[in-house]
Amino acid sequence: MEAVFQAMLGGLVLGLIYIAIAVGLTIIFGTLRLVNFAHGAFYAIGAYVGLVIAQHIGLVWAFVAAPIAVTVFAVLLDRLVLRSFYDKEPTSQLLVTFGIALVVEETLRLIFGSTTQQYVMPLALQGSATIGPIEYPAYRLFFAGGVIVMLVLVWLFIERTNYGLIVRAGVRDRIMVQLLGGNIRRASTVVFALGGAIAGLVGAAATPIYGIDPGTGFAFLVPSFVVVVVGGLGSFWGAVLGGLLIGELQSLTNLAYAPASNVVIYLCMALVLLLRPQGLLGESEVIKQ
Amino acid sequence: MKQTLSRGRFVAGTAGTVALTFGGGRYVIAAPTKDITIGLDVPLSGPYADQGQDQLRAYHLAIEEINAKGGIMGMNVKTSEGDDQTKPGVATENAQRMIERDGAVMITGGSSTGTAVAVSGLCQQKNVIFMAALTHGDETTNQNCHKHTFRRYNDAYMSAQSLARTLVSKYGTGKWFYITADYAWGHSVYDNITAVVEPKGAKTVKNVLTPFPGTKDFSPMLQQAQAAKPDVLVLTEFGADMVTCLNQAAQFGLTKSTKILVPLVDEYMAKGTKDNFDNVVSTAPFYWKYHAAKYPGAKKFVDAFTKKYGFPPSNGAETAYADIYIYKMAVEKAGSIDPAKVINVLETTKFQFTKEQEWYRKEDHQGVNSCLVVEGIPEAQRGANGFEYARVLEVHDGESVVAPLSSLSCKMESA
Repeated sequence: MEAVFQAMLGGLVLGLIYIAIAVGLTIIFGTLRLVNFAHGAFYAIGAYVGLVIAQHIGLVWAFVAAPIAVTVFAVLLDRLVLRSFYDKEPTSQLLVTFGIALVVEETLRLIFGSTTQQYVMPLALQGSATIGPIEYPAYRLFFAGGVIVMLVLVWLFIERTNYGLIVRAGVRDRIMVQLLGGNIRRASTVVFALGGAIAGLVGAAATPIYGIDPGTGFAFLVPSFVVVVVGGLGSFWGAVLGGLLIGELQSLTNLAYAPASNVVIYLCMALVLLLRPQGLLGESEVIKQ
Repeated sequence: MKQTLSRGRFVAGTAGTVALTFGGGRYVIAAPTKDITIGLDVPLSGPYADQGQDQLRAYHLAIEEINAKGGIMGMNVKTSEGDDQTKPGVATENAQRMIERDGAVMITGGSSTGTAVAVSGLCQQKNVIFMAALTHGDETTNQNCHKHTFRRYNDAYMSAQSLARTLVSKYGTGKWFYITADYAWGHSVYDNITAVVEPKGAKTVKNVLTPFPGTKDFSPMLQQAQAAKPDVLVLTEFGADMVTCLNQAAQFGLTKSTKILVPLVDEYMAKGTKDNFDNVVSTAPFYWKYHAAKYPGAKKFVDAFTKKYGFPPSNGAETAYADIYIYKMAVEKAGSIDPAKVINVLETTKFQFTKEQEWYRKEDHQGVNSCLVVEGIPEAQRGANGFEYARVLEVHDGESVVAPLSSLSCKMESA
């Protein structure tokens, strides 16, 4: 029983990482109809910027610098490259974002090498905390709390701001928003930058746990895509539900039979696609478009 | 105009075809070869990339040294290189290209038993020598042994024997928990260690298999280990996977509460795990600091490597370096690059380059040489470049720890 509880706690933390990456993916898809394979690159850039800053200045500044650096990168990417692909067919978008992901990964490899690197977590969070019958690393709990706070802020942004209104409306009917005079272009840059900033911050914050090598971003991207598909493309709560589901499923499978833990999430995705193609909380409208 | 087939041309053509069919292709045609191509098939990306890159450095050093001194039997050594991505399929494709397109007469490399076994099968088919470098799983020279494959690196059996002999008096009867990479090498290590320690009284609590390669989150497995409170925790992961796993084990307090064994380590894994590697016990076939102090050949190699690259070689690099020199020795002794003749020399010759005198067993082509049991030291004591990562607890003579011939399931081809 204790083991199951432990696994569920682990699944929650893992799920929160997936959610944090998936939320960026899903709002970018919802607003821009862009399937962004470069999203893992945002995670990796955030992690490496965090690494450099943490080693030379301090850990707290790493968490500030990483999202800022990734925001700058995302805006440049949006303005210089992706802008001309927003109206193209999904295949072109897929190819160009996948290409960007590869270029970023290899560039990071050139600069930092292939070695897994890690920065030391703050001393206060190095120990473990006791929750009920189990001991759990304090930093992971801090991380989980941080992701929850961030998710609340993103949710408030989407629900309570004018940009958020355009984002939500864009998910429903992109053309109508434009007809009504909503500046979906500017909103799209903001959304793209926001999605990037979240991924960058998560990259920096998760590195003390998982370490970073040039392939890590992509390693987290793939399950995050599964999360988005399971939860429903473009849906904020879909990403949250999907993330929790996939994280727990993976963690509990690990307890029962670890070698199956990578396969089980794809089985789950296949099942959802068969029974509810729009995803658990997805709107069928999105699929039709 | 109708082409007529002259008798002379017909005979020459037939002779050529016969020669190619029965004579092993290019070796029959006695035209003086100026260049000789060696295929270097190593991981430059994926979890074993650090190891692959260091092997490549050592290959380049050996080949430069050899070419500067007249090559192999007067032939200049060229290379054909490929990134195997730690994937058997890619490794095999690379090797095929090296052999068919670039005419490689020998393939070497591999930082994984998965890739080594795949490439070994191909080289056997193609009648090309395969000097398997960094591969530690028993399969390479046991279940999947081949006439054309030679592996000098210690295998899992040797490491398990060495570890167990050094540690069994202290931890032999305790509770052992295993976290094991789910592929050929991991299984091989697990089987070997349990086979040695269980009869001595060690209790296996559980063996948790982890997806390979590239598991990022080991927390579910580590939580199980934490709950089981074992005396010994065996982490059978290698390269970047081992770095991730051991660092996460430290987050769960396991490096302090439990004796941790890692069956095989190298300089890069110790660097990546920093102080978490302190007190971890492992094995290595070569440790630059130990061997350079003891053997002139090792000193020469370590000095040249350090001069060229600015830091000492890892143990995978050492075996890569030695493999090139061993092949050179065999070709020169055979007086030919004909694989059959080279194999014959390798099966029957003792040699010494960077360690004690060593040899390959004729029966399985496993290299017989020593195995070090090492224990990690704190990062602060590891010297300026961080490469002095361990103290040597014990050195086990190769012959005393190698798998007995009677236990092998290797069925070697006749050619």
